[in-house]
Amino acid sequence: MSRRNLELLFLVLAGAVSTMAYVSVYTGRFREIGSVSIIYGLIFVAIFFGLHLLIRLVLPQADPFLLPITALLAAVGLTEIFRIKPALALAQGQWLLVGAALFVITLLVVRDHKKLDRYRYLIGAVGLVLLVITIVLGTTVNGAKLWIHAFGMSIQPSEFAKLAIVVFLAGYLDDKKVLLSVPTRHVLGVPVPATKYFGPLLIMWVLSLAMLVFMKDFGMALLFMSIFVALMYMATARVVYVAAGVGMFAAAAAIALMIVPHVQDRFTVWLDPWPYASTTGYQLLQSLFTIADGGILGSGFGRGFLLFTNRQPVVPDLQTDFIFAAIANEMGILGAAGVVLVYLLFVWRGFRIAVYAPDGFSKLLAAGLATAFGLQTFIIIGGVTRLIPLTGVTLPFVSYGGSSITANLMLVALLLMVSNRTNIILAGSELERRRLAERG
Amino acid sequence: MNRAIAKVFIVGAVLFVALIVNLTWIMVVRADWFQHRAENKRSIAKEMKIARGDLLGFDGTVIAGSERRSGYYYRVYPQGTVAPQLLGYDSVRYGRSGIEAQLNDVLTGEANDLGVQSWIDKLLSRKPVGADVRLTLVPEVQKTAQQALRGQKGAVIVLDPQTGALIASASSPTYDPANLEEQWARLSTDESAPLLNRPTQGLYVPGSAFKVVTATAALDSGKVSADTQFVDTGTYVVFGGKVTNYGGAVYGPNSFTTALTYSINTTFAKVGNTLTRKRLIAGMEQYGFYETPPLPLPAGEVAPSGRYGKKGLLAPDAFMDPLDVAWAACGQEKILATPLQMALVAAGVANGGRVMAPYYVQTVRSASGAVVRKTEPKVWMVAMTPQTATTLNTMMRRVVEEGTGTAAALEGIAVAGKTGTAEKGDGTNLAWFIAFAPADNPTVAIAVVIEDTQSTGGAAAAPLAATVIKSALAQPGLP
Repeated sequence: MSRRNLELLFLVLAGAVSTMAYVSVYTGRFREIGSVSIIYGLIFVAIFFGLHLLIRLVLPQADPFLLPITALLAAVGLTEIFRIKPALALAQGQWLLVGAALFVITLLVVRDHKKLDRYRYLIGAVGLVLLVITIVLGTTVNGAKLWIHAFGMSIQPSEFAKLAIVVFLAGYLDDKKVLLSVPTRHVLGVPVPATKYFGPLLIMWVLSLAMLVFMKDFGMALLFMSIFVALMYMATARVVYVAAGVGMFAAAAAIALMIVPHVQDRFTVWLDPWPYASTTGYQLLQSLFTIADGGILGSGFGRGFLLFTNRQPVVPDLQTDFIFAAIANEMGILGAAGVVLVYLLFVWRGFRIAVYAPDGFSKLLAAGLATAFGLQTFIIIGGVTRLIPLTGVTLPFVSYGGSSITANLMLVALLLMVSNRTNIILAGSELERRRLAERG
Repeated sequence: MNRAIAKVFIVGAVLFVALIVNLTWIMVVRADWFQHRAENKRSIAKEMKIARGDLLGFDGTVIAGSERRSGYYYRVYPQGTVAPQLLGYDSVRYGRSGIEAQLNDVLTGEANDLGVQSWIDKLLSRKPVGADVRLTLVPEVQKTAQQALRGQKGAVIVLDPQTGALIASASSPTYDPANLEEQWARLSTDESAPLLNRPTQGLYVPGSAFKVVTATAALDSGKVSADTQFVDTGTYVVFGGKVTNYGGAVYGPNSFTTALTYSINTTFAKVGNTLTRKRLIAGMEQYGFYETPPLPLPAGEVAPSGRYGKKGLLAPDAFMDPLDVAWAACGQEKILATPLQMALVAAGVANGGRVMAPYYVQTVRSASGAVVRKTEPKVWMVAMTPQTATTLNTMMRRVVEEGTGTAAALEGIAVAGKTGTAEKGDGTNLAWFIAFAPADNPTVAIAVVIEDTQSTGGAAAAPLAATVIKSALAQPGLP
């Protein structure tokens, strides 16, 4: 079966699963739903079918898994948001439409991801600017300064900055990897590259420290630093960068812990939430209770106890950061583990694309994007389950939020582009190869 | 580069596996632990979304109903205050007590024996529907008992001696269960303990009402008969102490029957020492003293009766000197009993010596209308031989016919009973009356206790018992 037909088959499967989930929610709160709900469903199907047709035309050899996984996760998210706050589902649907539009624009404007390498400094600068304007103009929500208000919307620029930084680093590190990996001297018997090559590491470190201190957000800082360290390692295969990166981030975290009360609270609550059950630990404990309540099979979509009498969710921010708690409650351990595995499948496809990619930039780009995607997933799921300290990042495609869904759809577009090019080259179509070679 | 990429992926995969392991830990291994943390109010709040089963009276009327308000069910009490201490409360803030706690899984439809439909609902993860519980409590009798106790502190408990079914259980002072949460601060600190379920939790000195137990042991031993003769001089000296009669009375020559009729302490003190400690305590144990009566209620809501020391219930073989035995035979010394236990004493005599296990559930009806539980009466204790029961029946009738309990006499119905008056030493008495009726085929057994009264058992408790017995016998059907 061709890649595209496979993709279509998976999409239909994802659609079937989503429809069941949706019907479950629908029947769970039957009295509150009008015919509008059918329209949500149709819009959703139309969006993904449309994207599929576009990929058929533009990226015929792209990976067949990524779009169906995206559709499945978006459907689970939309269903759960609809279940928690029906009014937000429409907004999320609109954001999905915006995200799809940006997906299309990314595909049509970029066409070939290799072009991005040429503008890497520009793109890197854009990423940096996005972070700086967040620090300068941002408003604080839930203790973290991640949002800017513009054009009557709340935007989370760090979601887009994440993409820009990955593109920049992929280009930059591919270019400098030889220099970075040549040891020029030895420290304590360990071969260490010249000090000047630690410069970029230092810049990233300062950046994440700034994010910790000014944005008061541990999650995004951890995400950026980890992406950087992972890319540095993948480019050079030198463990010394990992060690240095981990050490420096630990130092930054220690500093933040001392001077940022918000980060301090999160850390204290992570260590022992019980004394703070009705204050700072309330949200995390309610999340754990909600998850534990899911049991093996879950309470069923639309049937869990997620809302109080007054329709407020039992866990504050249930539809955004804590949406995984709602999923675990209604889908049980089987569903929750299934969702984690679906994310892992996505990450695996990303890394697979990286491994097969023919050139360093493509490899680092795909691996970097997959790392960013996987880490963000780990940070938020680990946070709401108290595996790691809780930090406010979104669960890709599932959490309510326009910036997140848009940025992650762009991420999918980039991965698809890399895989399309890779597969064409692997397939060895002489014509395509020549065509690609001519384009450089 | 590919090797490094693969390594990073492996690290990522390990992290994801850690997520799944941690999820399994929370959702499977420790799920129950999380569910039962005090900080977790999910279970009560969640159960409030279930249409809670009704608690019905024996006559089928609703005592505690369930009313839906914006998606949650709340308890309503259409008949007002009916045995709130026994029924218990159901509150998100203060938890549950009494029957509400004991039968919670039935009332929420979560029990495992509620019929096929409930199994189907469970399999489909549907919200369960609570089962209705029909109690043996007869609201009319219950209200009569509550009304009779109004303004006094005390308890009334009414049983069917032939089955053990609880017909009424009144505790005073009482409260309105409809606004428990608003009154909580007062109810939980009030010295008169309105939340206490006196019939099963209240431990009182039984006084002369206990003489029925002593008489049972004496008659069963064969050492004393109804006609055994004694001589009372007003004082019985034993082991460096003495036993006297209530009010300093002197009765002269008396038979054992007369001793019970007029509650002569000196005779019972002598009988106690004839029996010795061992037989007296064994007689108590045969009635169920030293054990928690098997009325199914949450831990601590039913107290065992027996001899109590500073640290609670004493062992049955705890030391007693002859003076202790003499006073114990009169229901004094360290003996404490619940009204439930004393009602079971009356019920045992009434039922030919067999003490039936007390119960309050008549039937449980699942949401689909099928009867899924029905209590079958069973014997708890055999307290005496049938002959002893017959003899005691006659002796206790005499108490009401001509003795200390004449105030309990009813027109056309033979009542058998025993009074008790325990002096508290502060000028107030504890007034007791235990009885059963009709004496030739008893269908009602009762224990009444009034705290802090100036009056005696015969004057304060007996007439109250008569009122309640009359109300019970007038009912068209009893459990």
